[in-house]
Amino acid sequence: MSNPNNVVVVAEQLQGDLQQITQELLGAARGLAEKLNTGVSCFLIGHNIMPLAEKLIHYGADEVIVVDDPQLKEYTTLTYRRAVIAILEHLKTPPPIVLMGATTIGRDLAPRIAAHLEVGLTADCTELDIGDYEHKGKADPSKTGTFNNILYAIRPSFGESLKARILGPWKNPQMATTRIGVMQALPVDTTRKGTVHKVPVTFQTDDFRVTVVKTVRDVSATVNLTGAKVIVSGGFGLGSADGFAVVRDLASVFKDSVVGASRRAVDSGWIPYAHQVGQTGKTVRPDIYIALGISGAIQHRVGMAHSKVIIAANKDADAPIFKFAHYGIVGDLYHIAPLLKKELAKMAREQGIKAGA
Amino acid sequence: MFKIIVFIKQVPDTSSKAGVNPDGTIDRARAKRMLNPFDRYALQKAIEIKRAYGAEVTCVTMGPPPAVEVLVEAFEHGADYGVLLTDKRIAASDTLATAYALHKVIHHLGEFDIILTGLQTTDGDTAQVGPQIAERLNIAQITYCEALSISGKKLSARRVVEGGHQELEVSMPVLITVANSATPLDYKRFADVAAVKEFLRQPQERERRIKTVSLDIIGADGTRTGLVGSPTVVGKTWKLGEIGGSCTLFQGESPEREVEELIGKLRADGKGVEELVNV
Repeated sequence: MSNPNNVVVVAEQLQGDLQQITQELLGAARGLAEKLNTGVSCFLIGHNIMPLAEKLIHYGADEVIVVDDPQLKEYTTLTYRRAVIAILEHLKTPPPIVLMGATTIGRDLAPRIAAHLEVGLTADCTELDIGDYEHKGKADPSKTGTFNNILYAIRPSFGESLKARILGPWKNPQMATTRIGVMQALPVDTTRKGTVHKVPVTFQTDDFRVTVVKTVRDVSATVNLTGAKVIVSGGFGLGSADGFAVVRDLASVFKDSVVGASRRAVDSGWIPYAHQVGQTGKTVRPDIYIALGISGAIQHRVGMAHSKVIIAANKDADAPIFKFAHYGIVGDLYHIAPLLKKELAKMAREQGIKAGA
Repeated sequence: MFKIIVFIKQVPDTSSKAGVNPDGTIDRARAKRMLNPFDRYALQKAIEIKRAYGAEVTCVTMGPPPAVEVLVEAFEHGADYGVLLTDKRIAASDTLATAYALHKVIHHLGEFDIILTGLQTTDGDTAQVGPQIAERLNIAQITYCEALSISGKKLSARRVVEGGHQELEVSMPVLITVANSATPLDYKRFADVAAVKEFLRQPQERERRIKTVSLDIIGADGTRTGLVGSPTVVGKTWKLGEIGGSCTLFQGESPEREVEELIGKLRADGKGVEELVNV
């Protein structure tokens, strides 16, 4: 039977494909479970998804609790909400911690579960830990006290200028969502063993208020900003939509690269929103970020400042981007970008010759 | 005619240095204020529905008295009514406590067809309050909504998911959070700033359009809001170290020379760039 103290991960699958975030969550959950000297349970919800249970064990789950129902073939908020609640009610005692992804599904579902249970939920965490907390606040004497081994949910706040540790020790489960691409997945271990069991769900008429007409998966239209190793971004300094040809051309010299853009370039209609990096776009941390014609306004900066290497080209030597880029070239990006491409290719060739020798 | 509620929020303008404390926290009293940028998409969607299908648009905000400014901004873009929930006891509410207070405003206002919110705020960045209001009201929700159309009481919507989208149908009432991949913004199109200035000058009309309410007026329980009513607490904050900082700048020579020097420096610094380039 399941251990009531297990750390819980709610797995995410879309039409039978396990999403990357689940592996990351299981990695994070194992770290927490080790500190709490307990195990990891994973909730798996969908239809005809039993083959995924074994994968979840290989990723780090000790126990997989499955709700498999034809009504769960497609994700909808209310049917999946019902399934999560069914498992939690089946567990009798609330688990100490429940983790979900800060994805379009996790951010849709987690707040409803938290509001239903009247528990705390911390969004978009970048670190998770276990520790103690002494609550001294006097506003509500019933809350005062010392709490051991509680969840530290750590997240950036105020446009990523601050990091905050959020605590909710008063009621279990302590819930958190984690940002895509931040938590470390464990190496897949195909020898790991675990248990799998099913829990039934009883739907209510109200659960079907939203119907899915269809789900369209358009992988080609997807811009993998959060997963790419290299991002080459264009800004307002490009001057026109055609300028992105230069950006794409430079990006093509890298093995695993995508094209990014500043908000002003997107707002100008030069490139679709899916490419936008920054506060109202994606937050990225690639190995290399190249900014072409981007001034580096705070709203862009908060989305990319944690990139490992930032290279900027801008004709304005006073542009804010040169305050936080690691390398900068002052000049015309239309000259610089093609030269960069040429020199990078040359460097790779020389490297290849050396390696081959 | 549809009844639409739009939840909007006044947030600190982080592009301005004003009101940023040395420890990185924000002094909201001194900070420049603005309408949460994400809310413009929700507001635009409301005005689009109003013009296409006929609707009465009420904007609701919660915050200290100056938050009334975002209601005035909403009027300028075509909203009909505004409600400001202001009360000392709501200060420092987390998302759950905020959703509790806001759902009581909905109870106070009565019937509605659609609630619109922005995807998230730029100060909280959680995207949680919308779904938590929907849970409290026991209504359906569509988050990350990019496009929608209405036929009778049925609403069809396109919702973003990773690597694609879902096409959904729902009967009203429904809460929708509007993705910022929705229609590009031109919500100032329908602005009538002069008319708004005019009615704000007339106390009677101003009072008819803007309602200021407290927790007592909306029948909310003060122990379920603010610090007391929040299940989470901020335990500790750190300022993130100054990011980047020392930029090696190449300038004043020919682009060829600058690029060559940059590549040389990248290699000398051992940044591993070689590994990432196609051979």
